[in-house]
Amino acid sequence: MASESRGPWATELVDIVRAASGGLLFGIPLLYTMEVWWVGSYTDPRHMLVVLAITFCAVTLLNRTSGFRDTKDVRLRDALADSVEALVIALACVTLVLLLLREITGTTPIQEALGKIVYESTPFAIGIALAHHFLRRGRDAGDDESDASESQDSTGQGTINATLADVGATTIGAVFVAFNIAPTDEIPMLAAAMPPGWLLGVIGASLLVSYLIVFVAGFSNQEQRHSQKGVLQHPITETFACYLVALAAAAVMLWFFQRAAVGDPVDEVLSHVIVLGLPAAVGGAAGRLAV
Amino acid sequence: MTDSKQSDDRQRPARSSAEWVTFAISLLLLSGVVAMIAIQIPGEHLPPAPTVRQAGPVRATGGSFFVPVEVSNDGDDTAQNVQVLATYTSADGTETIADQVVDFLAGGETEELEFVFDEDPREGELDVSVNGYGVP
Repeated sequence: MASESRGPWATELVDIVRAASGGLLFGIPLLYTMEVWWVGSYTDPRHMLVVLAITFCAVTLLNRTSGFRDTKDVRLRDALADSVEALVIALACVTLVLLLLREITGTTPIQEALGKIVYESTPFAIGIALAHHFLRRGRDAGDDESDASESQDSTGQGTINATLADVGATTIGAVFVAFNIAPTDEIPMLAAAMPPGWLLGVIGASLLVSYLIVFVAGFSNQEQRHSQKGVLQHPITETFACYLVALAAAAVMLWFFQRAAVGDPVDEVLSHVIVLGLPAAVGGAAGRLAV
Repeated sequence: MTDSKQSDDRQRPARSSAEWVTFAISLLLLSGVVAMIAIQIPGEHLPPAPTVRQAGPVRATGGSFFVPVEVSNDGDDTAQNVQVLATYTSADGTETIADQVVDFLAGGETEELEFVFDEDPREGELDVSVNGYGVP
């Protein structure tokens, strides 16, 4: 959807969602890395300010050539302004994810929380600055194929092919992002700290993030995605179906690394799958953008 | 997709009112975060000071006895690898020692631990202590 067809507020909202999505794609592996939490735990506030300044400079450089908007930031003034926004979006999103993962709670000392947020914000902000560039190659490459797929849209074969393509792309994307996280101790550690009700929040967040990346962030041809026919091609059903695929991929990855086995307590395995399901869903959404 | 290809090459127009408002809010929030970090810079650093105390009554479940313990850092700096010991001395003088390590304990942070004994610690003497820690 071209930005000219939207009002300035809608365009700004989509730009912010695109920024947050790009940040998640780039930053989610480090959000699941305990060493980064630890560094944040003992970082001196002066060092935090230095990290923020370095991040700001890196994001400004990237914003001059890429950025998260649908335009190029060629003017230094715009790049600086967008860098302020990118940094704040990163800080806000990282805070929300760390709260969701219970790495920040009401009892976490403010300095420790700030350290974790600042460190995790660095890769997230870089992802924001690269958001527009992310998957553009895949999107452009998909253009040539879209004509062929559109010609099949009215047929059942086209719907099946599109569904299979989404399932395959979700699986590949989920494995690509979550494979590095699956064997780590972070998964049982995070899952152990979450009460059952909290896991519902993780499920909700995973579905929301997946939907926003594919259908709102403007990474790919959304008009085509919104207009695809078939039960599993509707945005809501596709989001749910692909989340289930991401969960299945997460379960297989945990089994592959012998982190889950037949006979293990079901609630324990389920909690691990749901915790790994968040990065898997992010990866799965990114994978679907490439088809 | 022609639209988006054109938009990729489009030079940036003047900032819209929405972009200015977002920028103003972002600048305010970023200033707030920087200020919050700045006020954390203490004039005087207190070194780590982990302390430990029994946090509640002993629970008995399935033949085991659980002792809730809280370890807090009363200093400003973070303590690393805080080793917490729980020593149970029975009536006949036999000692049973349990230990746990807290990876990181930030200044002002409190962690909850549970020690498990096969014998009821209430029938003897229980002592909980911090055995040592590192400075990251």
